[in-house]
Amino acid sequence: MAEPACALPHPSRRSLRGLDWFIFLVADLQTGFGPFVAVYLTSEKWTQVEIGLVLSVAGLVALVGQMPGGALVDAARSERTVAAVAVTLIAAAALTYALWPVFPAVLAAATMHAAASCVLGPAIAAISLGLVGHSAIGERFGRNARFASLGAGLSAAVMGGVGYFFSTSAVFFVTAALLGPALFVLRRMAWQEIDPERAHGNMPEHHIHEPPIDVRSLLTRRPLLIFGGCILLFHLANAAMLPLMGSVLTTRSSEWATVLIAACMVGPQFVVAASSPWIGRQAQKWGRRPLLIAGFAALPVRGLLFATVTDPYLLVAVQLLDGLTAAVFAVMVPLTVADLTRDTGRFNLTQGIIGTMMGVGAALSPTLAGYISDHAGSATAFLGLAAIGVVGFAAVWLAMPETRPAANGAEDARPGTD
Amino acid sequence: MRVGLGMILLGAALIALSATAQTPTAPSGTDSAQPPAEPPGAPPPAAASPAPPSPTPPSPTPPSVTVLGSQEVQGILGREIRSTADENMGRIVDVLVDGEGRTRAAIIDFGGFLGVGSRKIAIDWKALHFVPAAGKKYGIVLELTRDQVKTAPEVKDGKPTIVLGASGNLESLP
Repeated sequence: MAEPACALPHPSRRSLRGLDWFIFLVADLQTGFGPFVAVYLTSEKWTQVEIGLVLSVAGLVALVGQMPGGALVDAARSERTVAAVAVTLIAAAALTYALWPVFPAVLAAATMHAAASCVLGPAIAAISLGLVGHSAIGERFGRNARFASLGAGLSAAVMGGVGYFFSTSAVFFVTAALLGPALFVLRRMAWQEIDPERAHGNMPEHHIHEPPIDVRSLLTRRPLLIFGGCILLFHLANAAMLPLMGSVLTTRSSEWATVLIAACMVGPQFVVAASSPWIGRQAQKWGRRPLLIAGFAALPVRGLLFATVTDPYLLVAVQLLDGLTAAVFAVMVPLTVADLTRDTGRFNLTQGIIGTMMGVGAALSPTLAGYISDHAGSATAFLGLAAIGVVGFAAVWLAMPETRPAANGAEDARPGTD
Repeated sequence: MRVGLGMILLGAALIALSATAQTPTAPSGTDSAQPPAEPPGAPPPAAASPAPPSPTPPSPTPPSVTVLGSQEVQGILGREIRSTADENMGRIVDVLVDGEGRTRAAIIDFGGFLGVGSRKIAIDWKALHFVPAAGKKYGIVLELTRDQVKTAPEVKDGKPTIVLGASGNLESLP
């Protein structure tokens, strides 16, 4: 299928389904990591100092690796191969955790996992863009968010059960075993249909084989900087809310606390799964701004409700708002980045830049919330997070331009720069 | 490392237990509040009687050796704790000892799901009971329920540790 440069891409059904399932399985693969690593290492007689060291190193790599990871995907000619290598490394890391929980091995595995995750995220978005092109990417990112959250929600439930009924290490064996199906569905995607030029943010119907733009000129684009700042504020306000709420829940409810926290983690995922394709379509119809504003508005509301509501069951209902915000951001972040990097050849590097902002916000958030909560109580901490959310909301409202290209498709598509 | 010391003391305590009838000499005289349901009962933590730790003499006498069977003693770091109502109470992540080496409290990682929402709380060492369950498994039972533990504050570095006592009340370690 040698595609003429001016035609819009027509990916096969098989490739699109392959991408759906690949995203689903990657979300499954990633669930067993995160905070669960600390639980597992504790059960393996690790001291808190060692666990803290491993988690800090992994967190640092995950932050610093974002931009090189994106640049790597931009440089790659086969996004599919990059994704295959990344999932293989992640599965290998899971297996290392399960089989060989000694300090050097786990440190290496955690570093490897963090680095591979930095590549895998952009690679999936790049494959999506390479398959469907800019004209249909809104809906595609909506679908991506649906399958990612279905995977994360289901596997959190399944792995929670596995960890409870079998052993904590069983979770990592399940994770590693998912590599087989993930590579299988990745192979089912036709590589000829993933256009590397499109995957890097170029639009072959406009220009053919231009070199990617200068990184410095990318970094001086105002909408990109504003968007990055908003994303940082969002994660600064958002990242600590669930853990803080979880620890509040465990102090209020005894026998149901575990189940309620599980519901708080799984419930929003299903909200995302239900709403994200719709959000992707509306983003093409209404534009990006109204949805971004709505997603940001839900965040301070959630903070306020967490600060005032005390009934544990109502807290779970409030947490469903997280699903709404998460759906908006899961679609809007890659979509806005795709808008802002049209014809630049730097789609994935820019994802890395935004990912770094995300990581900085998310890393500072628990420290900030923990500090406020130690000194002034958890209600004040929720109010503080809500206040940051309000600042982010105002920033989007006042400063963030609409990034949807003027006409939907062929004729003019100025990137939102000046 | 204070954990290692805690485990050694636990081992010593269990030896005292298997040798039985070494009357619990009483630096900690509050052991009377134990439930009769626990067959072996909790030995007082200060059972350091088998090997008095004399300051090492300069003469080259070989150090004494004690052999502990794997049935007799167990490491406790990372070990799961159950309540008397058989609820999961989390895992031991650290053991606190005082200046004399007496175990004072265990830090447990309590609650949460897949690592979210769990927190570290300190419980009085005397509230823990070590039950050599028949056969190979070895259980640690906490004389408190989840309901009593749920309000305990989180342990933070650089702050006084609030320890949850066996009767469910909080006391502060200096």
